[in-house]
Amino acid sequence: MLEYAGSQRSGLRAEREGIRLLAVVRSLDWILLGGVAALVAVGLWGVAGVTKFAVPNDPSYYLNRQILYVAAGGAILVLAALVDPDLYRRYWRGIFAVTASLIAIVFVIGHAARGSTRWISLGFFTFQPSEFGKLLFVLALAGMLAERQRVLGSWTSTLRVLGLGLVPVVLVFIQPDLGTALVYMAALAAMLFVAGVPWRHLAVLGGVALLILVGVLWAGPAVGVSALKGYQQQRLTCFTHPSTCPAAAGYNLEQSLAAIGSGQVRGRGPNGSTQVNLGFLPASPTDFVFAGFAEQRGFVGAALLLCLYLLVLWRGLRVVTVARDLFSAVVAGGIVVALLFQTFVNVGMTMGIAPITGIPLPFVSVGGSSMIANLAAMGVLLAIHARGRASRYARRRA
Amino acid sequence: MASTTTAPPSPPPRGKQPDERGETVVQPYRLTPKLARRVGLLGGVVLIGFAALLLRLWALQVLSGSQYVARAQANQFRAVRVQAPRGPILDSSGRVLVTNQPVTSVELWWADLPKAYSRRVSELRELAHVTRVPLYEIAGMIKRRKLAGDLLTPIVIRDEAPRPMATYLQERAGGFPGVVLEPTYIRHYPNGSLAAQLLGYVSEVSPEELRTLAAQGYRPGDEIGQTGVEGQFDTYLRGIAGSGRVRVDSLGRPLGGRTLVTPPQPGAAVRLTISLPLQRAAEGALQYGIQLARNNGQWAANGGAIVALSPKDGSILALASAPSYRPSVFTGPVSSNALAAQGLTSHTALDKNYPALNRALDVTYPPGSTFKPVTALAALEEHLIKPSAFYPCTGTFTAPEDRSHHVFHNWDPNVYQGMDLPTALAQSCDTYFYRVGNAFYELPGSRGQPLQKWAGRFGFGKPTGVDVGPEQPGLVPTIGWKHRMYTPATDSKEWQVDRLWKPGDSITLAIGQGDLLVTPIQMARFYAALANGGKLVTPHVLMDVQNPNGTIVPTPAPPAAKRIPGLNPAYLRVVQQGLYEATHLTNGTSYGVFGGFPVPIAGKTGTAQKVVQLPGLTREEDQSWWCGYGPVNDPELVVCAVIENGGEGGSAAAPAAERVFGSFFHVQANLTGPIHSD
Repeated sequence: MLEYAGSQRSGLRAEREGIRLLAVVRSLDWILLGGVAALVAVGLWGVAGVTKFAVPNDPSYYLNRQILYVAAGGAILVLAALVDPDLYRRYWRGIFAVTASLIAIVFVIGHAARGSTRWISLGFFTFQPSEFGKLLFVLALAGMLAERQRVLGSWTSTLRVLGLGLVPVVLVFIQPDLGTALVYMAALAAMLFVAGVPWRHLAVLGGVALLILVGVLWAGPAVGVSALKGYQQQRLTCFTHPSTCPAAAGYNLEQSLAAIGSGQVRGRGPNGSTQVNLGFLPASPTDFVFAGFAEQRGFVGAALLLCLYLLVLWRGLRVVTVARDLFSAVVAGGIVVALLFQTFVNVGMTMGIAPITGIPLPFVSVGGSSMIANLAAMGVLLAIHARGRASRYARRRA
Repeated sequence: MASTTTAPPSPPPRGKQPDERGETVVQPYRLTPKLARRVGLLGGVVLIGFAALLLRLWALQVLSGSQYVARAQANQFRAVRVQAPRGPILDSSGRVLVTNQPVTSVELWWADLPKAYSRRVSELRELAHVTRVPLYEIAGMIKRRKLAGDLLTPIVIRDEAPRPMATYLQERAGGFPGVVLEPTYIRHYPNGSLAAQLLGYVSEVSPEELRTLAAQGYRPGDEIGQTGVEGQFDTYLRGIAGSGRVRVDSLGRPLGGRTLVTPPQPGAAVRLTISLPLQRAAEGALQYGIQLARNNGQWAANGGAIVALSPKDGSILALASAPSYRPSVFTGPVSSNALAAQGLTSHTALDKNYPALNRALDVTYPPGSTFKPVTALAALEEHLIKPSAFYPCTGTFTAPEDRSHHVFHNWDPNVYQGMDLPTALAQSCDTYFYRVGNAFYELPGSRGQPLQKWAGRFGFGKPTGVDVGPEQPGLVPTIGWKHRMYTPATDSKEWQVDRLWKPGDSITLAIGQGDLLVTPIQMARFYAALANGGKLVTPHVLMDVQNPNGTIVPTPAPPAAKRIPGLNPAYLRVVQQGLYEATHLTNGTSYGVFGGFPVPIAGKTGTAQKVVQLPGLTREEDQSWWCGYGPVNDPELVVCAVIENGGEGGSAAAPAAERVFGSFFHVQANLTGPIHSD
């Protein structure tokens, strides 16, 4: 039987017996876990303040739900940390099919909110497949990349991976959910990058992406072709000139800036934050939660939050380096870059340095799907780290 | 499997390594330098991204935080205007003529109305029903506010809500989103219709007025004095509106009540020279005079005016005009039905004989014989007559140069005697003055038009400059005026004849008839000049203006009394003698009224023909006049009374004026009864 280094079927077979569950637990990245826990805690603290007056006479309406989501997400994180990531590699085709059909099913049974069909109602819980799709997408594409790792230097391979990866991207884009589609694309690019696709390919793809961007945002509208809806177009370009933007498009950003700025160093506290409590800040529990948090907790709180993200991202990148195989490394790379992209774009949009897109802030924005999916992704990262460490110990012992 | 127990070789073995059997040796996955570089690069991206976020956060929150705090503050507070209570209007002794009444007003915050059109309409309909303000009026208020581009300040639906209405709305506040009850003030008139035209009224500033007044600080929703004292002295009365702020949410809905930022400064108290008891007496006297005229068969007598002023400085002590109205119709919700009932709309004004007109200032009448002192003084000054010389008083007079040979009649056809000037004034001999008028006509053109010149010096034909309007200038006909008046356009048939100044023009002018028109205030001012020895005063009602804290607001002083240039005091005394004889000799025209009055009064009757429009017909009616002053040795009060269509001056206007004197001097009159007179 022909076996390749990195696929490690044989190695794993040998190691599987050696790696006890205990070893996995022992080699958990406790700093990463601690960072995520702190992030979730700060996020809950933020939600508690931002949503204090969101529902009349029930200051903890959103907080209670968010705690429930954290509990569910925590359980899934533990589960994901214990599952051997190799499982995902073996069944990547199935995962891909589930991802694509979950996203596609929204068009059939989903329900619309704010002009966009993103949710599936499960009765007790409205579930947003594209959030879970982020993780599944990364797992599936990483599986494909790992399978093709011998031929990763070829254009055929790059284009095939790209072609398959763009299917869910397009599905999400036409929901329409431009922000999430961009997250998918960022994750896809990161996976190609980590998998070792040649710079030449990356440069060409990057150039094409840039051309498309220019075409869609500026050249297209100039000649009367618009791939984006008007509001998307405005939101993407408005942040460069908020004060001259149409009232509705510029208003959100102006209010967000006023909220963040008025927090100053110490914050105005949940009771004094007029931007949030009087409804001037749009979507304060979800997309603009960072602005509300910054208004209430000030620079001290917001900087603390950003540093916690930095900690988690640093540990996440470290996981890439300790991964046991290419699949794991690519998965870790995809998860970390998706997290980075979401955090940067969300926080950036509230401060006017990134376009306004409907991307929630991981671990903070109110929303079950996002919270659970992000915690699950962290679980996968922990699993990769633990297995990588465990296999290293095992190799060392051998 | 390659050995990895020893120190890892550098670079570590990687990829496929064909062994002896040509099979691939399984190599464990290792961190390659290439991957390490790429991960390092990603780390760099993370650091750059987060550095950008943190720097931006620092810039927003720490560097320009205070600026954003201001912006957030501005977001949540809406400035509202807090109306200042309007200053009271007082009489000369500080008695209240107009004051304020605290009331509850019903206001509407547009932004807080339901968003759904049907629910909005049904709420407004319900509100119209409860406040009894018609829906179309509410809609009109909203529309005007929309046009002004200001839907953020509340709209006053009804500025005085009776207690049950306020309670009803308060208890059902949930059913009326956007409706707020605010304490405010409305004008209160403790004396009813007293001095209504003089005091004027207050109403909300109109969009047309705003266009010119916005620069002076008026804003939509402000009250503004419309006419009379309220209008003239609005700047003193209105005070300075304060500002408050109301916390609103992002939809502009008010949260809680308003808080004062700068308290409003109440308006200053305007003290008038008017004396409340004398004003009341004058209005009573006017009604009495009208009633007397009606009793005499002058059924069309239905209005008039009385001016009472001090001849020393021109301060007006009473200014009555009838018919009158209740200014309280302009407070609270102004309904056109209520206005119509008071004769304040264009449809009902004629039926009610124009109650809004201030007849003392704003209506002109032919003065009739009350004008004779003007003719007398002018003729003396121009040496057309001698004070003590006797001239014939006959039943009729025909001017020798009058080609139409018109016969001018004396009011008393059975007279044939020589009269000196005082007697001619006392008995009001028309033919005496016809001759004087004819003498004016016969003067050579080089002498100009001395009668008109003297009339002008005595203040006729131009506004008196009284400090409260509106005021008519009146008319003194001149040769030039006739020439301008009659043109082919105005008088197509006989303009060439009509425009000529004929003997009859001078003759009728001499007895205060013809084209001559004067206002009662002009007449009172002239008699003041007769009383005070030839000084023309400027009538005024403003005494002083006092801030709520007691300090006096500087106001322009009324112009000082001006000596009439060229007037010979000796001639003036002759006329004064004539006026005294008119009230104290048995042949005097108002002897029956003033002959037994305890205080010596001098004065002149007048009966002026005027073509009047009555409801349904147009005919010539006698306007009853009396003007005079007293006590004669040191005059303190000038009274001029006109009873419209009241008949002879001695039978309606003189008894009315007598009542004013009676009130002023606190004496009871003992009338010998009005007599047949001019």
